[in-house]
Amino acid sequence: MSASRLQPATLEALRDALQGAHARRERIEAVDLRALGRVVEHRPEDMTVTVEAGLDLAALQATLAQQGQWLPVDPPNARQLAIGRLLNANTSGPRRFGYGGIREHLLGLKVVLPDGRVIRSGGKVVKNVAGYDLLKLFVGAQGTLGVIVEATFKVRPRPAVERFVTIRGLAFEEGASLIDQVMRSEMAPIVLDLHRLAGPAFEPTLVMVVGFAGTAAEVEWQIDALGQLSEFEDCTLEYEERFWAAEAGIPVHRRSVLPSQVTEAARSLAGVDLVARAGNGILYYRGGTPPPKTDGPRALLQRVKDAFDPHHVLPELPS
Amino acid sequence: MSAPANDTLTPEMIDRLRAIVGPENLLAGQEELLVYECDAYTLEKHPPGVVVLPDTTAQVVAIVKLCAERKVPIIPRGAGTSLSGAVLAVTGGVMIAMSRMNRILELDPRNRRALVEAGCINAWVTTAARPHGLLYAPDPSSQPACTIGGNLATNAGGPHTLKYGVTTNHILGFEMVLPDGELLWLGATPDGGEEVDGYDLRGAVIGCEGMFGVVTRVLLRLIRVPRAYRTMLGVFETVDDASQAVSDIIGAGILPGALEMMDQLITQAVEAAYHFGFPLDAGAVLIVELDGLAAGLDAQTERVMGLCRKNRAREVRLAGSDQERADLWKCRKRAFGAIGRLSPNFLTQDGVVPRSKLPEMMRFIQECSRKYALRIPNVFHAGDGNLHPLLLYDERDPDQVRRTLEASNAILDKCVALGGSVSGEHGIGVEKIDFMEKQFTADDLEAMRTLRRVFDPEGRCNPHKLFPGSKRCMEFTPRKQAAA
Repeated sequence: MSASRLQPATLEALRDALQGAHARRERIEAVDLRALGRVVEHRPEDMTVTVEAGLDLAALQATLAQQGQWLPVDPPNARQLAIGRLLNANTSGPRRFGYGGIREHLLGLKVVLPDGRVIRSGGKVVKNVAGYDLLKLFVGAQGTLGVIVEATFKVRPRPAVERFVTIRGLAFEEGASLIDQVMRSEMAPIVLDLHRLAGPAFEPTLVMVVGFAGTAAEVEWQIDALGQLSEFEDCTLEYEERFWAAEAGIPVHRRSVLPSQVTEAARSLAGVDLVARAGNGILYYRGGTPPPKTDGPRALLQRVKDAFDPHHVLPELPS
Repeated sequence: MSAPANDTLTPEMIDRLRAIVGPENLLAGQEELLVYECDAYTLEKHPPGVVVLPDTTAQVVAIVKLCAERKVPIIPRGAGTSLSGAVLAVTGGVMIAMSRMNRILELDPRNRRALVEAGCINAWVTTAARPHGLLYAPDPSSQPACTIGGNLATNAGGPHTLKYGVTTNHILGFEMVLPDGELLWLGATPDGGEEVDGYDLRGAVIGCEGMFGVVTRVLLRLIRVPRAYRTMLGVFETVDDASQAVSDIIGAGILPGALEMMDQLITQAVEAAYHFGFPLDAGAVLIVELDGLAAGLDAQTERVMGLCRKNRAREVRLAGSDQERADLWKCRKRAFGAIGRLSPNFLTQDGVVPRSKLPEMMRFIQECSRKYALRIPNVFHAGDGNLHPLLLYDERDPDQVRRTLEASNAILDKCVALGGSVSGEHGIGVEKIDFMEKQFTADDLEAMRTLRRVFDPEGRCNPHKLFPGSKRCMEFTPRKQAAA
């Protein structure tokens, strides 16, 4: 069995290639969808957009911005990230606390199954319970169950104002207490991050970042509310880019804990660069010890893979 | 894949079930089973062979294992408020009623989570969470009765899904018994983080209409109670004007917590029943609810009012108190209940169209009303494009019954033709099976069957639902449809 890389020029070519591979029981290592990169349909009045999976997220955001809209996701390396890869990897960024991950915005998918059949799941309307919610299976599946070729998203109006502020030099207990206070307050931040990054100003303490979005009045009110808890200075989300852009070769690990345990988990990760979604309980860190494996229903996951890809044409489920 | 055509529950098997749940928690008498012969979709009825009411997950596992051994169908049931026949025991079998497993097990305000048993009533969660400033967002109209397990099975919605999303956006994980008796936890665990490795089986099970297994415990995400509300009632001369106002509000970048429409017929019925003070001569009323921080809410309210007036609203009224807001929502959520004043029977649909197609769809429903000589009041989630036309008929008149079904089919066909869906929140169940092939291709449906086989290779869990070609209970003759 030989593995191959596909770079189909059209949907039909992809379908035929998968059909062939399925029949011959060949493996396909990777599929490059750069040729399938159109915005199929943007309906600003319905707040929905349908795109081909090879389109870059940045290009989609540019299209949406013309109508004052956006897809409120900010995954790592977003400048050169195709929608299909985003859906396969299900990655997310700081704004996840406010808006959720890509899954939360997905309405419909068109997928080429490993045997070449083309299926649709979901649709183009914002509410839809006809049939099983099959599309959830493909989000985060790393392309192991089928090739996503088209996706429909619900989009949002761009907020009038976004503002990010930072509080530096927090000891772990201070960080925990401040996060607690923000969570219990009337504030509704869209970003609630912690980070600790090496560099010219490396400190063993944590840096907290809080982001607000909305009308000018909403943001201003929340900034005032935060000011009653702590002093702060304005910032950007550059730390996130810095974390992901750091030297290749050292693996980034992800650990997911209860939100209340984030600072404790950060404390246990001594000496490594980290960014943490304090509101979601997710920590990313570079190097160090990998997190303990979550013991999922392994046999059931394998049954899903075997059912959708009986000849194992597409990559295996990562262990 | 076809489910066992019929089951024969032997006295010995019934004895074993009785030993699992205790004699008082097994119903096998003909009269006792009457309650369980249908849900809120009452056009088709069939009693289960037996109903068991387990109290623990261990009992559910024991029941399911026994049924697996004997190849008997199992039908998980919550409160039976489904509008699509989702818990109909088409070929009998063992119905597992979750009503005793209704406890709230843990409430974790700091992490905004609640762990509940599947039979827990939806509204109880918010009642328990509210003292902590939290609530459970999905709020279907049946929320005082429906269960979290049933909500999970149908991926239930409600008026506030426009801003907050549906059930799948608010369930972190759950415990589930597969049809072979294996006990699993899918998604986030009560003491674990929200990210889980591997496929999102949590998301794939939510909305499976109870066909993948029996869910026993559910971990819910809670959200903050909005600090402030502004609830408005816009009064319009025509449905067209009200629909255009909906489009304009969304188009202006405003995301209301809820955006609901009632047309003249339903407004009159609701007013006669609940005396809120709705105008009887208006073509349509719009309920617009903004929520969030108090800061800036008044400015947004002004904008919404302006957009209503721009679309010739005769009046835009702001709820002056929490009580008035509560009364307004009570009227909206009990709208179906007011229909009894208009007609002995009704059939409701819940098709969805893209928001911008609402005016066209509403005109089509009015045409259907004329063409089929039926009264069709409308009360619906306008912000989502999710319709609820109520087709009024009298079951004693066979011609009316025929016209009702024809009109209902025409409406759903139109939803599909406009790029929408035949169901926004009620599900397919047995009711809308015939529409699956209109909305999905053979390959789409086969992919769904593939997923089902992963969970239930024998097709024994809640059989004869959702898929075309499923066995029906009886000749399709509408009888009475109860209000939900």
